[in-house]
Parts: sequence; C-alpha cells; structure tokens
Amino acid sequence: MRVSSNTVYDLGVSAMNQQQAQLLKTQQQMSTGRRILTPADDPIASSRALEITQADSINTQYGTNAQTAAGRLSLTDQALGSVTNLLQSIRQNAITGGNGSFTASDRASLAQDTQAMYDQLMTVANTTDGEGNYLFSGFQTGLKPFSPGAAGVQYLGDDGQRLVQVASGRQIAVSQSGADVFTRIRSGNGAFAVSAPAGNTGNATYSPGTVTNAAAITGHQYQIVFSVTGTTTTYDVHDVTAGTTVATAQPYTSGASIAFDGMSLEVSGIPAAGDVVQIDPSTNQDIFKTVSNLIAALKAPAGSPAAQARLQNSLTDAVTNLDQDLNNVSSVRAGVGTRMSEAATQQTSSQDLSLQYKQVLSNLQDLDYAKAVSDLTQQQTNLQAAQKSFLQTAQLSVFNYLP
Amino acid sequence: MATNIFGIAITGLQAAQAGLITAGHNISNANTPGFTRQQVDFSNATPLASGSGFFGNGVDVVTVQRLYSQFLSNEVLTASTQSSSLDSNYSQIQQIDNLLADPSAGVSPALQNFFTAVQGVATTPNVDASRQAMLSSAQALASSFQGIDQQLTGLRDGVNSAIGATTREISNFATQIADLNQRIIVARSATGGQPPNDLLDQRDQLVANLNKDIRATVVTQGDGAYNVFIGNGQPLVAGTQAYSLATLPDPLDPTKLTIGYRAPSGVVQLPEATLSGGSLGGLLDFRSQALDPAQNALGRVAITLAQTVNAQHELGQDLNGQLGTPLFSIGPPRVNSNLNNTGNAVIAAAFDTTNVGALTTSDYRLNYDGTNYTLTRLSDNTTRAFATFPQNVDGFTLSLASGAAAAGDSFLIRPTVDGASTLNVAITDPTKVAAAAPIRTAQGAANTGTGTLSAGSVNVPPPPDPNLQQPVTITFTSPTTFDVTGTGTGNPTGVAYTAGQNISFNGWTVQISGAPATGDSFSIGPNTGGSGDNRNALALASLQTAKILDGGTASYQGAYAALVSQVGTQTQQLQVTSAAQASILQQVQTAQQSYSGVNLDEEAANLIRFQQAYQASGKVLQIASTLFASLLQINP
Repeated sequence: MRVSSNTVYDLGVSAMNQQQAQLLKTQQQMSTGRRILTPADDPIASSRALEITQADSINTQYGTNAQTAAGRLSLTDQALGSVTNLLQSIRQNAITGGNGSFTASDRASLAQDTQAMYDQLMTVANTTDGEGNYLFSGFQTGLKPFSPGAAGVQYLGDDGQRLVQVASGRQIAVSQSGADVFTRIRSGNGAFAVSAPAGNTGNATYSPGTVTNAAAITGHQYQIVFSVTGTTTTYDVHDVTAGTTVATAQPYTSGASIAFDGMSLEVSGIPAAGDVVQIDPSTNQDIFKTVSNLIAALKAPAGSPAAQARLQNSLTDAVTNLDQDLNNVSSVRAGVGTRMSEAATQQTSSQDLSLQYKQVLSNLQDLDYAKAVSDLTQQQTNLQAAQKSFLQTAQLSVFNYLP
Repeated sequence: MATNIFGIAITGLQAAQAGLITAGHNISNANTPGFTRQQVDFSNATPLASGSGFFGNGVDVVTVQRLYSQFLSNEVLTASTQSSSLDSNYSQIQQIDNLLADPSAGVSPALQNFFTAVQGVATTPNVDASRQAMLSSAQALASSFQGIDQQLTGLRDGVNSAIGATTREISNFATQIADLNQRIIVARSATGGQPPNDLLDQRDQLVANLNKDIRATVVTQGDGAYNVFIGNGQPLVAGTQAYSLATLPDPLDPTKLTIGYRAPSGVVQLPEATLSGGSLGGLLDFRSQALDPAQNALGRVAITLAQTVNAQHELGQDLNGQLGTPLFSIGPPRVNSNLNNTGNAVIAAAFDTTNVGALTTSDYRLNYDGTNYTLTRLSDNTTRAFATFPQNVDGFTLSLASGAAAAGDSFLIRPTVDGASTLNVAITDPTKVAAAAPIRTAQGAANTGTGTLSAGSVNVPPPPDPNLQQPVTITFTSPTTFDVTGTGTGNPTGVAYTAGQNISFNGWTVQISGAPATGDSFSIGPNTGGSGDNRNALALASLQTAKILDGGTASYQGAYAALVSQVGTQTQQLQVTSAAQASILQQVQTAQQSYSGVNLDEEAANLIRFQQAYQASGKVLQIASTLFASLLQINP
C-alpha cells in the first residue's frame, strides 16, 4: 500500500496523543486517589456513590441523635432515680409514723423530715437540663412545670413528649411529661380507694383492700355503715351511686375480710354505731398531694383512740398511694431505661453501618493503587515505544541518500 | 532527419522539465492542507509517416492532473462532519460532567448539610443557634443550586455565541466557494478545459472546512462549479451565487439563538432537526439533548424541595407561636408567548401543590387552533387537547391570565427551567423556623379509663384550617361514644368510638386508643409556649429520604443522582462514539491520503527519474549537434 508521508506523522502523533491522554488520566487518578474523576467515568457508580454518601450522612446523623437521646434520657433517669429514693424514704417515714410508742413530737420531727423531702421532690420535678430547659414540662420547655397553689400543686406543662429520630422509621421519646411521672397516678390500690370520714368516733382502721374479681368491679361509690346492738356489731354495704344496698346486717368481726362486688377489704378495731368506711373508685392523685396528706397526718394530734385510728388510716392511705407512686415511677423509669439501651444500641449499629457505607463508597469510587501503578508502568512503556518507533520511522527518507 | 532529432530531444527535455516541476511542486506542497498530489500525463507524439514507416516524433505533455478520488474524498467529508459534530457536543457536555464531578462540592453535600441542620433543630428546637444554622444551610443549599444553574446558563450563552460565530463562518465559506467557482470556470475556459488543479484543491479544502461546521452536500455542475446544499436542500452556493445564514432568536424562546436562512423574501428559520453534522449540529444537539434536560432536572429538584419543605413548614408553628410561613421562595413556571402570536392571550402557569410528584423535566408547547388547545409534552410528544382553562397537567396548572388566543397562536411552557436559579430562602429570622406543631393534645387529669390520646398531626396540604388551633374537647359519654365540643367542629354528639381510629376536626387528626371510661375527656388545643416541641422539625427532616419526585419514586438526592448519572452516561457515550468516529475518520483519511497524499520518497525517485530523463534528452541533443557538426566537417 502506498503511504503518504504525512500519514506517518499524523498517525504517529495521534497514537502518542492517545497514549499521553491515558497516562495523564492514570496520573490524575493516582494524585486524587479517585477511580471516578467525572461521572462519565462510571455513571452508575457515581450516582450510587451520591446515594450512599447521603445514606452515610443520614446514618451519622442518627448516631449523633442517638447520642443526644442517650444524654437526655440519662438526665431523666437520674431525676427519676432521685424521685424513687425520695419516695422510698418518705414511705419509710410513713411506716415509722405508725409506731405506737411515738410521741407527738417524734411525729412532728418525722413530719419535718418528710417536709424536707417534699421540697426536694419539688426541686427534682422542676429540674432543668444544662440548657435551662425543664425536663418534665412537655413541649413548654421554658415553663416551670410544677407550682404550688391554693388547690395543691398544679401541673402547668403539657403531655408532649419530645422525640428524637434514631433510625429510619424509629423515633424515641427523650422526655417524659410531668403528668406521666408525678400527677397521673391512681389513688388507693389502683382500682378503688378506701377512706373513713373524719366524723367516725370508733377506732376502726381499714386495709387498702384488693380486687378479687376485676370483672365484677362496678366503679361505684360504696359505704360500709356499722350498727351496734348491745355487744353485736353488724354492718350494711350500700352502693351509693346506684342507691341500692348490697348487703345488710352482716356480723362484724375485727380483722375479717369484707367482700362484695369483686372487692375485698379488712376492717379492724371497734367501730362505733354509725361509723362509715367509704369506698370510692380510684382517681388520679399527684405525688405531692400524697406526700402533703402524709405530712398533715403526721402533724395532726393523735390523743384519742379515734384520732389514733385516723392517723393509722392516713398512714395506710399514704403507704398505699406511695406504693402506687413508686410503681408508676418505676415503670416510667423502666421505659426510660429501655430507650436508653435502645439509643446505645442504635449508636453502635450506626457506627457499624457507617463502616459498611465507607467500605461500599470506597469500593465504588476509590482507586486500586496496585492496579493503577501497574497501569501507569504499562502506559509509560507503551508511550516510550510509540515515541521511539515514530522517530525511527520518520527519519527514514530517500533524501538522506541523495548526493 | 536531423532537425527531427533536435525536435525529439527538445520534447524530451520539456517533458522531463514538466516532470521535475511537478515533482518539485508536490514536494513543496507536501504539508499544504487539502493538497492533492499531481502528476504529468505524457503521451507519445504523432509519428511522422514516411515510406519506410512511421518515425516517432518525441513526447507530448498532455496535461497535469491531480490524483483525486471523488469517492474517497466524500468518505472523508462524511466522517469528518460526523466527527466534528460529536467532538463539539462532547467538549460541551464535558463541562457539565466536570461541573457535577466532585462529590464533595455542589448540591449533594449542601442538601445533606441542610437536613443535618434540620435534625439539629429537631434536637434543640429552642436554641437560636441551631435555628440560625438551619437558615444558613438553607441559604447555602439555594446558593449551590443557583451556582450550578449559573454555570449551565453560562454554557447556554457560550452555545449561543458559538452558534453565531459558526454561522458567520459558514456564510464566509459560502462566499469563498462561490468565488472559487467563478475562478475555476474562467480558468477552465481559458485553457480549453484544462483542470486548474490547485484551485480545485482550494475549493475542496473549503468544502471540507464547511463540513466541519455543518453537513453540506456537493453537486458538481457541467462547467466545473460546485453547488452546495445544507439542511433540507437549502442551497448555500449555486454556481457563482452564495447565500448566507443568520442567527435569530427563537420566537418561542428569545433566550435561544436559532439558525435562519437568508432567502430573497427575508430570513427564514431553519428547523433545528434538519441541521445535523458539523460543530453547529453538535452544538444544537448538546443544547437540546444535554443542556436543557440537565437544567430542567436540576430545576425540578429545587422546585420539589421548595414546595415540599414549604408545605411541611407551613403546617408547623414557629418560636413566636405563629403558624409557619414558606421557608423557600421559588419562581413560577416560565411561559413564553410566540413572538408571532396574533392573539393577546397571556397564559399563566403555577405549580400544583397537591401533585408535586407529577412534575417532569420536560418542556411543553401549547397550540391553539381556534377552538381547542393542544398541549404537547416535548419529551415524548404526548398531546392533550382541551378547550377551557384552568388545566392541571403534570404537577402544574395552566390558566388564562388575560386576553384571548387567536388560531395558530402557540406558547412554550418550561415549568422547571428557572427552578434552580429562583430558589431562595424566604425567612431570615431564626425564630420563624417552624419546628413545633401548632397543636398539642392532653388527657383530662381526672380520667379514670385507660384511653390515651396521640400527639396529633396537622392535615396536609397547607394552608392549615383556620380553626386549627381552636380548643376542642372530646368527652366520652359512654365507653363507646363521645361528644366533641369546640369552634369549627360543629359539636357532634354520640360519635361512635373505635380504638385507634383517626378522629379529624379543624384540620388535625388524632387517635385515641385504649378503653376510655365514661366522663373521660381529651383536649386538643393550641401549642402555646411549645418551644421544646420538635414534631414539625422531625417531619421536615423525614423529607430527606421521602420518595417524592417522579411520581413518588425518588428522593431529592435520588433525583439529583439520576441527573448526575444521566449526564455521566451521555458524556461517556459521546466519549466512546467520538473516539470511534475519530478512528473512522483517521482510517478514511489514511485511505484518501494513500491515494492523493504526497510521498516524499516517491517524489525523490521522480526527481531522479526526470533528472536522468533530462540528462538523456540532453545527450540526444548533443549527439544531434555532433551529427550536424560532422556533416559540416566533410570537405569535398
């Protein structure tokens, strides 16, 4: 084939250009450490890299969020721990207060001690975090949630729970509303509350009672009314709400259980004629009310047997309600604990996932240096060969031999 | 006979000289672009008849011809116009490719930073710093959209000016070809039809250059003139007459320069589809196939982001207790009326907030035939006919703002092209970030049942119900029924209760679960003072991964990644095809050069050959002269 002299140059130059372009690309890849210099180098991998970068960024954010959540929850947990300790001490005081050998001044000092703990309880309920936000005020973090008033302690916060996104599709609550912890607690044994009117003249005391048949619970108000005929004491049970009488002229034995409509309680001591033991369905009673009732009872004089019985009944109420309070705080705290451990788990899994994402990203876009070095050497050799062979070919000319 | 020897010797000398001249010409033009090697055609002269037969009469130089192959040259033209089209397209799209190359710059990290900042607000909703960070990162996000859009607009301006320059060059070539036609006709007739080789080379070179700008076909006339046609057969050169091209703004889109043909009646717009090949064809392809779609795709991400974030933001409540206002501002779809419209209709377009996911990256053309409007989606030519406004189409709404259209009027609707450039942050006050929900719910303090009330959510789409924040109380009249009281609810009574079922009034929805007791109450009211509430911030943050675009199949980042992948694929494809075309071009050029190119070794051989021929003819002359002298020396 006939070859034009220019073709020798054109083809030689174009071959060298191509080799140089390849060499330059490998060099750029090596200097940036990136396999993909522009999306055109691998369109699918570059768009996938974008998606994974976002997934990684979101995952990192979830990790940070979980850390924040763990911090917040640990604050709440500490506060709830203090509440538990205080409630246990107060409960101890309530039990101690029932000691028959205690004098009024002993009880007064118990009351003082309890008052101090009441104040601490109030402080805990109004705890703030490091940023001055109240822990137990719901959404209104700038609002002091509990404030004493004429009608007892008012909860001014709301039911809001702050959530933190710790995984896709998983938000965990990092705050607890004050109502959940301190105020929305069933009184009595949770189903009904036993009480005795202040006008009772006998020295009968009652137990908090138990539910024997939950299905038979009516939610009505009942009164057990005692009658004394000679030495025989009997009682009637009235369903006040329905206006009916459940039982009449039942013989009374101190300490024996009185059962009706799925409920059972014991009354001990000697009730006077016309004395009443009242049963109400449980209502919500806040912790502060429970404790201030206890303080009031400890402060009240207990000279007469009737007053003694009132003290005993009040202490029974206090212990019963404090048990409810402790139960409630424990269950809230258990929830907080579960979420804390979930936050910790999420932190770990976020770290693991992040490693995976980094790995995938690296596979997608990072350069395999071993291969690149080998490519570079090969391309260098090729270019040198092209240069050398071009020079040799281009130098050949008949004119070199013309005289 | 002696005179004959002289004559023969002289023809030989002349022929050898012609050969040497031609070889020298070839050598000196070895590097001239478009040069075709020439060779002398020799022929033996008419012999002298005599009784003893025919005596040769030397050599005739018939002509100097160029070794030109029409077929091979056409191959080169075809390959070269295709190659320069691909090259110009590739060099343009490479710029978009480079623009989107760095994964650590541009929209993607800005998008992630924005949502990270939203999460920051969700974590600490009542801290000004986190709100300010969210606004700043929103600003950075808007800037990154604008930045890329600016670069794309810069590319568009570059395309416009390149189109202008190329068009002028084409007109220039046309004039030069017509001029050469004239000179070739004259030269041929002056020499009785001898080919003016070097003029022909110059003209072929011009045609080759013209084909690098635009695909042009050549028809040779009887008198040797070229007629050159472009596009759909518009003559660019007819004999000695040259026509020219002009640029004119597209009547449907004044920002876009198109090509016009200067006909005697005026400038006629040439349909872009007919102008293929050459760098002009490459530019037009780039603009319609890469630049417009890229700018639209980017705009669509910006528009969808603005609309969905705004929609959620407007359902929230800011730190001042006010309902949220739009976080981003975004321009409306662009509607261009055809400059040639005779009616005075002004068509307005707005985004359809209820159907954000339906937005496409396509442009639309609206035609009016006197009774019906036809809307054509230009990406797939789907049409839709209607007679009245407003119309909801693909995530936007068209309406007639004023006037009336006349038959034949047309409009161009570009919903997404301005998206990225008009994205801005509408809020500067950090307290106006709506991190909270405007309502909160509460259970009655004296409730005895186990019923619990959910935190409640505000119904989409915005704007929220005017009674949204009115206090509403739900009171159970029995374990299975409840009454609702509150402004705007209509105070229904005896509503049947099903645990977990949605209860919706005044634009909010709550669920009550568990077993409420008779007399239990639940309340929904304004979230006054809810500075620690992050519900709306969480809802905003969840938009990051929500599949919204493309009919609910792609997230913002997904749609952006699709754009990157599309540009990457297009670039890669052009890289491959332009390299392949370059190699084809090289092959046909080698073949063409193999026939027409100068080989210096060959010319060296020719030099020696004709030098020797010259020397030999000289020897003949010398001998003839010796013969004559020997006659003179005879003394009788």
